[in-house]
Amino acid sequence: MAGARIPPIEERSISIEERPGGVQAACFLAMGCPCEILVASKDAAVALHWAQAGVAEAWRIERKFSRYRADSAVAACNASAGQAVVIDAETERLLDYAAHCHELSGGLFDITSGVLRGAWHFDGSDRLPSATAVEQLRARIGFSRLVRTRGTLTVPAGMEIDLGGIAKEYAVDRALEAMAALDQTPPAFLVNFGGDLRASGPLPAAPWKVGVEAPARGPVPALVLELGRGALATSGDTHRYLLREGKRYGHILDPRTGWPVENAPHSVTVAAATCIEAGTLSTIALLHGAAAESFLEELGVTYWCLR
Amino acid sequence: MQIDAPAVAGRSRMIPRLRLFAVVGAALLLGACGLVGVKPWERDLMAKPEMLLDAAPIDSAMDDHVYFSKEAASGGKGFGGGGCGCN
Amino acid sequence: MQLKPRARRQQLALAALALFGGSAAQAQSDLPATEGNQPAVIDTGFLWYQESNNRITDAEVIVSAHQPLGGDTAWNGRLTIDAVCGGSPIGALPSKSSQSFVTPTATSLNPPVVVTQTTTSASGGGGGLGVNLCTNPVQNQKYIVAPGQLPIDQSFHDQRIALSGGYEAPIGTQSKFSAGAALSHELDFFSTSINGLLSRDFNNRNTTLAAGLNLEADKISPVGGTPVPLSPYGAFEKGGNRNKNLQDALLGVTQVVTRRWITQANVSYEHSSGYQTDPYKIVTQVDALGNDAAGMYLYESRPQTRNRLALFWDNKYAFDNDVLQASYRRTQDSWGVHTDTFEMHYRLSLGDYGYFEPHAREYRQSAADFFRFFLFQTAAQPAYVSADPRLAAFTGQTFGLKYGLALGKDGEFDVRAERYTQRGAGPANPPPGLQGLDLYPGMQAYLLQVGLRFTF
Repeated sequence: MAGARIPPIEERSISIEERPGGVQAACFLAMGCPCEILVASKDAAVALHWAQAGVAEAWRIERKFSRYRADSAVAACNASAGQAVVIDAETERLLDYAAHCHELSGGLFDITSGVLRGAWHFDGSDRLPSATAVEQLRARIGFSRLVRTRGTLTVPAGMEIDLGGIAKEYAVDRALEAMAALDQTPPAFLVNFGGDLRASGPLPAAPWKVGVEAPARGPVPALVLELGRGALATSGDTHRYLLREGKRYGHILDPRTGWPVENAPHSVTVAAATCIEAGTLSTIALLHGAAAESFLEELGVTYWCLR
Repeated sequence: MQIDAPAVAGRSRMIPRLRLFAVVGAALLLGACGLVGVKPWERDLMAKPEMLLDAAPIDSAMDDHVYFSKEAASGGKGFGGGGCGCN
Repeated sequence: MQLKPRARRQQLALAALALFGGSAAQAQSDLPATEGNQPAVIDTGFLWYQESNNRITDAEVIVSAHQPLGGDTAWNGRLTIDAVCGGSPIGALPSKSSQSFVTPTATSLNPPVVVTQTTTSASGGGGGLGVNLCTNPVQNQKYIVAPGQLPIDQSFHDQRIALSGGYEAPIGTQSKFSAGAALSHELDFFSTSINGLLSRDFNNRNTTLAAGLNLEADKISPVGGTPVPLSPYGAFEKGGNRNKNLQDALLGVTQVVTRRWITQANVSYEHSSGYQTDPYKIVTQVDALGNDAAGMYLYESRPQTRNRLALFWDNKYAFDNDVLQASYRRTQDSWGVHTDTFEMHYRLSLGDYGYFEPHAREYRQSAADFFRFFLFQTAAQPAYVSADPRLAAFTGQTFGLKYGLALGKDGEFDVRAERYTQRGAGPANPPPGLQGLDLYPGMQAYLLQVGLRFTF
């Protein structure tokens, strides 16, 4: 998405289109990806009424946590040059969650690893970074070096945090809650931000039918999953890469080495009760590379791997 | 010797080509009669591995497979290692 | 420098075997200066082939071995593994309206439709050539082709494993024979073949004559069954397996012309009989104005026999350090396809730093007699028809560069990259309904190959 001009939130619109099975989809752009909120309704105006609360949440989270926005909380932390920054309860809860993920994954999941994008440009070329460049950036990674007290966060000079790995899934859960809070008996909805989604409950006549994108990225899905209630998140590794001497370097980087994870599956789709759980499990599984499936099996997670 | 090279492929007639091959064939027959060739001590350059007519058999095999799958002509150079259903 | 008799005989015997490329002839990386044990050679390569626009992706691995057994005899073997998938044109033409087709395993034009309301996928996108790792193929699906797009079946996939081997031995002091066999197995195709060749040297080994024969038997088992040729696309009456047999005969002459120039000419004739049709390809039918009615497609049909004559002339010229190779091939067959291929390689030696080898190939092909871009519904149905773009008239240009480097005394590493483009044109005067559509989009592909060779 780098290079494409993304309109500011104020200039964006929501469009409604019909989907099979008596569903309306409210489509819009948020957090750098195509988003949609599906509502079980035959009426476009009714669907828009419900979806607006979810869209507002998505844009609120984008304003607050996007590292591309100078006015976001994340940008403030990253620009603090080693000074403590006051953070609110929501940001604090997200950081606590990131800390749990860091532990659960044995250090693989690290929100300070975003600096590596300075060396790695996944444009399909064969330009690999030099080992020195990678090492210099790796010296600036380490979740445990963030200093946290109640209500504050200190990002040491030279380091940065990037919530891109969890903000989307968090936004899905928040959007769903916001929509459900509008009324006692809401219709069924499904919130899908960039491929990570969650359904509040099944459609009146059937479960939701969710396609898992095929490796060829065509319109025909590799699998169709039936979803009643709960979340599905997919992490994948073949659309952005570098190719050198016949070896493909995927874009999922291991923060411990600074280099791409080897033998990661094409994609991992995880089912969980909330989208943020599903999202972090699928990302951590992918970071395990060849051991992705065994990691998920050990944790007793419901998943689908495409290799 | 005059060699007719066809100006536009696919639209030339058989006859100019037969003439080309007749000329080549005659030259080669001359060779067979011992009028063309080299003495044993003149084989230094010929002995180099890169002077073998099929010095890169893997490249040839890969290319043959690609062109067999994408074009209507095949072979003519020799026998490959089994057929392929790609055409 | 005078070559010892054994080495000289080897050189030209190898040149004769080179007439038969592939499994029979193996190059040695280092001709021995003294008599003694001949080295065994293992030659490997890995190829990545990628077409643009979501078309075919292919990965192939070849491992070859050649082992001398003493007394000028040797055996050789080769293993090939190949996986291919991606989009393959089905022969139907682009249309001004949207078209729908089904993948080969479908048994009706309306297979249970995959209804989804949404898709879960990894985020991110762009970059690269749309690489497809050939996993998880799609079956029994309907797919929609947008107006103006060439209909392409994205469910195409195949894996192939092929094994071949041969044995060569001298007969007396002037002649040599070799014999080999090969097996190849794919999802929808199984092939077995045997080959033999005899060669004899003349004229102080300046001239070699060779004659060979190759016999092949193929079994075709199309995915989803074999359609009845010329039947309507929606009929779905499909039959079982089919067979095809091929016989090839080859006659060749290799001649050392001067100290620097070696030339080879060979003539080959191939007769094939049996099932030659492509079971997955269809032909669009249009009305007099060129508009297609929805669903008016026929399965293609090709003749049961095909005879092909090929003339091939190859040359290598040695400069002091560099080598120029130039060849020309002409083929003509009973389907009306005439082709010309001009090819050239120039090996530029960099001494201890290896070599560069640029490569260019120009290919021209005339259309098969029964090739049609489309059929008029009201015209009489021809006995044979195919819209397979590979039987159309087109030209192909390849440009490539190879780099090779010796690894010590016993090995060589090489890498090559090529680009292959096919260009052609649609029908000269398309009816109004087909005007403005790109009926022959052509094709562009990139190849990247790495290889390693070792002698023991």
